[in-house]
Amino acid sequence: MTLSPYDLKSNYGDVTPIDQDDGPSPIAPIAYSTEYSTAMAYFRALVRNNEKSKRALDLTSDIIKHNPAHYTVWNYRQQILFTLDENLTKELEFVKGLARDNPKNYQLWHHRQVIVEKLSDSSKELEFINEVLDDDAKNYHAWSYRQWINTHFNLWDDELPFIDTLLKDDVRNNSAWNHRHFVVFHDLDAIDESLIQSEINYTKEKIRQTPNNISPWNYLRGVLEKSSRDIQELESFCKEFTDNDINSMGWLVDIYENRAKNGDDQAKEDAIKICESLANKYDTIRKAYWEYRKDEIAAPSS
Amino acid sequence: MASTDMLEDDTLTEDSSNITFDRDRHVMYFKRCMNYLPEPYTSNDTNRMTLAFFGLGGIDLLNKIETIYSPVQREQWIDWIYAQQILPDKDNPELNRQICGFRGSPFSGLPYNPQGCHESRFPFDAAHIAMTYTALCTLLILGDDFSRIDRDAIVNGLTYLQKDDGSFTQTYNGMESDMRFLYCACAISYMLKDFSGIDIGKCIEYIRRSQGYDYGIAQKPGLESHGGSTYCAISALSLLNKIDEGLISKDRTIFWLLSRQVSGFQGRANKPEDTCYSFWIGASLKILGVFDLIDKEANRLFLSTTECHHGGFSKWPDLVPDIMHAYMGIAGLSLMDEPGMSTLDCALNISGKARQNLENSVFWQGD
Repeated sequence: MTLSPYDLKSNYGDVTPIDQDDGPSPIAPIAYSTEYSTAMAYFRALVRNNEKSKRALDLTSDIIKHNPAHYTVWNYRQQILFTLDENLTKELEFVKGLARDNPKNYQLWHHRQVIVEKLSDSSKELEFINEVLDDDAKNYHAWSYRQWINTHFNLWDDELPFIDTLLKDDVRNNSAWNHRHFVVFHDLDAIDESLIQSEINYTKEKIRQTPNNISPWNYLRGVLEKSSRDIQELESFCKEFTDNDINSMGWLVDIYENRAKNGDDQAKEDAIKICESLANKYDTIRKAYWEYRKDEIAAPSS
Repeated sequence: MASTDMLEDDTLTEDSSNITFDRDRHVMYFKRCMNYLPEPYTSNDTNRMTLAFFGLGGIDLLNKIETIYSPVQREQWIDWIYAQQILPDKDNPELNRQICGFRGSPFSGLPYNPQGCHESRFPFDAAHIAMTYTALCTLLILGDDFSRIDRDAIVNGLTYLQKDDGSFTQTYNGMESDMRFLYCACAISYMLKDFSGIDIGKCIEYIRRSQGYDYGIAQKPGLESHGGSTYCAISALSLLNKIDEGLISKDRTIFWLLSRQVSGFQGRANKPEDTCYSFWIGASLKILGVFDLIDKEANRLFLSTTECHHGGFSKWPDLVPDIMHAYMGIAGLSLMDEPGMSTLDCALNISGKARQNLENSVFWQGD
């Protein structure tokens, strides 16, 4: 529903609208539509009296459609909804309708969180989030909200199968890898050697399927850091990809640099050689970085 | 013949350092935006202060503020900014202590007053931390000395915005809290030379907890590492002079940042490059002292593909420009010492000259 200026005048006849006073020399004035500036003029009048009514609620719906980032209007809307004891399940539909066109609007996601927290009902939420991720599997707001749902309602069971599906679609989806880390390690008591090993195996397999994908390599390091295990043990795995994956080459630099620090001259030579090929052939956009690493490794240890 | 020569000068480039950069068309783009923004900017109605910051900040980085705007015009705009300041109630300061600072625009409908508004609290009209940050920056850009700033009110207002986990909300009774607003709180405290409104230990703890397994930094603990939040965290640490305490592994964070370079920069692993990350990632690297490790030529080449014919920059090639990406494109170039452009204070995100105005401001004098 859109309120025309005419509707506003007839339904709000007892209210004196208040115009915005932008002074004699406004910076960056916006060419508002008449609908928006009229609705805002009535909003200012209603909010000044802190009126919490059905017509005030309708007015917020209208303004939000013009400007879904109006945090003050969202805040007012929440107060009205709670005061009038409105049907909050219906409110979730309102948010869903807006999310189609505004999936990256901060206020809208937060509003949903406020409503769902009040309802204490998460039954529709994963489905809602999945629809948004279906359009954009890396939507930061959707992932942020999902983590809140997981934690707040202790909902974890569907997560790993869901992540699997996403990684089958796109193994380079770094948001999905990040969520995997969040889910797998959310319960510190559940971390044991077999969990670590199975995550290592899973990740290695994904790396073998698609080389030159930084996301699983970062994940792999994250898994190792949750245990007492060291990247040194992955030398032979890294060597599977020699000259074929800049991530494995970078890991080998780290592995050999570590050994060089302990006096292994062969490792030092190997590390320098890999830095050179990364700088000059395989990862030339980071040439300066690999040359810097090479100099660090080559310098006599103090 | 002459025109052919000129064409050849432009096109026969051996490397991107010869790409010509037409400063004037960008100045005109920003100038147009400051005079008038079309209807689609309505969704920024409550954030006009940030639009002012991007537009006037962009002109300032192009070294043209004083050339194209008269002292009278600058003074009128300083007045407009001060008109958005919410001050303590004259009769009873306790009445509205929680909401002091700056609004982003006069949307709440109070009468215009360049001295700021003392009006006691009316519902839902509160300062917004990002607007306070951009208001302070824009005042410096316009040459103001903060003499109308109520420092105590703003610093005190920050105490109501920090959450137990160390992050900040944007307004009193705020809707969200994350790294963006933590950065704003640190930048405001730094510019006003008063950190008593924030708990620094909690800020550092929040930043440490938001570092990911890849050592980039997220908006919140557990979320994906992101170029924008990494900039906010590193700049905040720099303003607090706590880089070493706040970064779990500086070397690995540097590697995460450098790994974002594709030609320009992406904000997250395996995402497309985007104009604004030339600034977010570039400025982070500069603060950490390793900006020279990037491939500047490749970055300049990418930015030349998002530079728009009639001025401004877009997010991706072949899109229309918007004022935020226009600013970020200019700021990204100024990091690379583009000729004719101002230097940039990376942590505050203002020009060297605006930084000088800060050091001459009332709260910095006498030190």
